[in-house]
Amino acid sequence: MTEAEQQVADAEDVWVFIEEHAGEVMNVSWELLAEGRTLADKIDEQLVAIVIGEDVDDVAEEAIQRGADRALVADDPVFEPYRADPYGTQFRHMVEEWNPSIVLIGGTHTGRDFAGRVAVPTWAGLTADVTKLDVDEDGLLQAKRPAFGGNVLATIVCEDHRPQMATVRAGVFEAAEPDPDREGEIEHVDVVVSEEETISEVIERVIGDTADITDADRIVAVGGGAEGDVSPAVELAEALDAELAASRKAVDEGWVEASRQVGQTGKTVRPELYVALGISGAIQHLEGMKDSRVVVAINDDPNAAIFEHADYGIVGDIFEIVPQLVEAIEAGAELQEVAQ
Amino acid sequence: MSNDWTIVVGVKQVPDSDEVTIDPDTGRLDRANAPAVLNTPDRNALEAALALRDEVGGEVIAISMGPPNAAEVLEESVAMGCDDAALITDRAFAGSDTWPTSYTLAEAVKYFDADVVVCGEETTDSSTGQVPPGIAAHNGWAQLTYVEELEPRPEENQLIAVRDVEGGHERVAADLPVVVAFAFGENEPRPASLHRKIYAENDFEPMELTAEDLGIDEDDVGLDASPTQVGGMDTVSPVDRKEQIVETPEELIEALAETEVFS
Ligand SMILES: Cc1cc2nc3c(=O)[nH]c(=O)nc-3n(C[C@H](O)[C@H](O)[C@H](O)COP(=O)(O)OP(=O)(O)OC[C@H]3O[C@@H](n4cnc5c(N)ncnc54)[C@H](O)[C@@H]3O)c2cc1C
Repeated sequence: MTEAEQQVADAEDVWVFIEEHAGEVMNVSWELLAEGRTLADKIDEQLVAIVIGEDVDDVAEEAIQRGADRALVADDPVFEPYRADPYGTQFRHMVEEWNPSIVLIGGTHTGRDFAGRVAVPTWAGLTADVTKLDVDEDGLLQAKRPAFGGNVLATIVCEDHRPQMATVRAGVFEAAEPDPDREGEIEHVDVVVSEEETISEVIERVIGDTADITDADRIVAVGGGAEGDVSPAVELAEALDAELAASRKAVDEGWVEASRQVGQTGKTVRPELYVALGISGAIQHLEGMKDSRVVVAINDDPNAAIFEHADYGIVGDIFEIVPQLVEAIEAGAELQEVAQ
Repeated sequence: MSNDWTIVVGVKQVPDSDEVTIDPDTGRLDRANAPAVLNTPDRNALEAALALRDEVGGEVIAISMGPPNAAEVLEESVAMGCDDAALITDRAFAGSDTWPTSYTLAEAVKYFDADVVVCGEETTDSSTGQVPPGIAAHNGWAQLTYVEELEPRPEENQLIAVRDVEGGHERVAADLPVVVAFAFGENEPRPASLHRKIYAENDFEPMELTAEDLGIDEDDVGLDASPTQVGGMDTVSPVDRKEQIVETPEELIEALAETEVFS
């Protein structure tokens, strides 16, 4: 057997990277623990949470409660805040030490930033932005990812190298719930990086309150058609008790915060109701909302692509139609109250 | 020592994503008939690279890995203002996934002795975003991804970036050499001037570099060196939509009441 074949034969366990920033865990990590649990059970191996940060024992403990059998913890001030080089080097060291079979990382900016720094030096297979995972009885991971704006789902496999790595989109799996009675092993690992060796420095980090639109039942999304004034969308969202979301155009223009972006480079949402206001329906946008149950579009261009992906459409100016719609919804609500 | 920087921009030719269609009978993607264009996010990378050169001095070299006809996107880059361009082309590269692709580009940027490498955020045809971090990882260089603004610090041999991070922003200083992935839509790409266009089309030929020129062992690139393979393609049947146009908000509310999205 060659060295590479040996490595494939010896690889075991499913790893999930638990992404945290200043103690705050990204929800996608809990989603991956749930999915990782399923995969690990299928191949009868352990689910291992990888926790990197400073003072992160609580995070490791929670990862156990949410389904991990073990947590490997690298705890050091060098890991806070996140930087690609220390994270990449530490994670790579851990991969080389334990030879995991599968490694799942959230498809966040952080996850996508450092995954390659692990996959490249270990010559691992890395699949980006996966939305579906499965594993066969031989432990071969089937990582499925949308291609060409979601028109096709490509299955990516990695036969001859380990680990089989994937960054996975946020919002496609249900998060694992904590069970306070679950027990597991927490192991602190050697920290192999030091501040002197780093090649980058975070000068400043400003984080706002991040909205989580992935769980919303109703979403009102606004796009380029708002031309700087998103108030119709905000009012409609209030009237419908919905979350505000946006296309990339509206985010890039600074009208709506980035955490509310829907699409290929934003979030995947699947609400009961998705209302698209002044959104053209570019494939990169559709990819993030196409599984919504009912889609409504309001756009002044009758030929806008969004209408082909909507259940109901109104052709018209959002600044005219939306206030009427809000009024009609509120009138309806009043009627209901009177009727009760 | 001069402060002039050698800035290399990675650009890619992709099928125009608006023109890729699906054959309804076979369910296969029809990419062949889609015209090839410059990957949109690469325009932002080109602008970022040219703006850096305007500030620090030095030169901008566009590189592209691909078949001979990919030279077109290099001409476009030169028309926009790049000083030079190189096509990395060799049959040995065929079938490369992101591992050998970023390896090849990593060798190419070393060949040009780059101080800064600028790429687009991702490509519209494969959208992995893995190549810029891959180049940095192969060379052990610093990386800055999701970059919205750049501030050069030539006296400190550093590049500072404002990066988009989940829920906010950060300013990061990285030591040179560094690989930058510039976020799509975050700057206004300059138009090509007429005389640059004429020059690029008539008088300019990009240099060509093969695996051998870059000192790359053919076993380390191409399909066989790629850890990932495409195991299959499924068409996703799009959710059936009613596509019903209604005239008034009242009609819309009635229609929605039937779908029971209002409880
Ligand atoms: C690599 C990459 C990744 C991307 N990722 C994403 C992503 O995650 N999410 C995303 O959304 N996009 C993404 N995009 C961008 C995408 O291609 C489109 O550019 C973007 O979605 C357009 O946004 P929009 O439809 O809101 O704006 P526009 O294209 O400006 O369209 C505005 C629409 O509003 C209509 N309109 C104008 N005025 C009014 C009015 N008064 N009333 C009613 N309608 C009006 C117009 O007819 C038009 O249809 C990505 C692109 C690339 C290259």
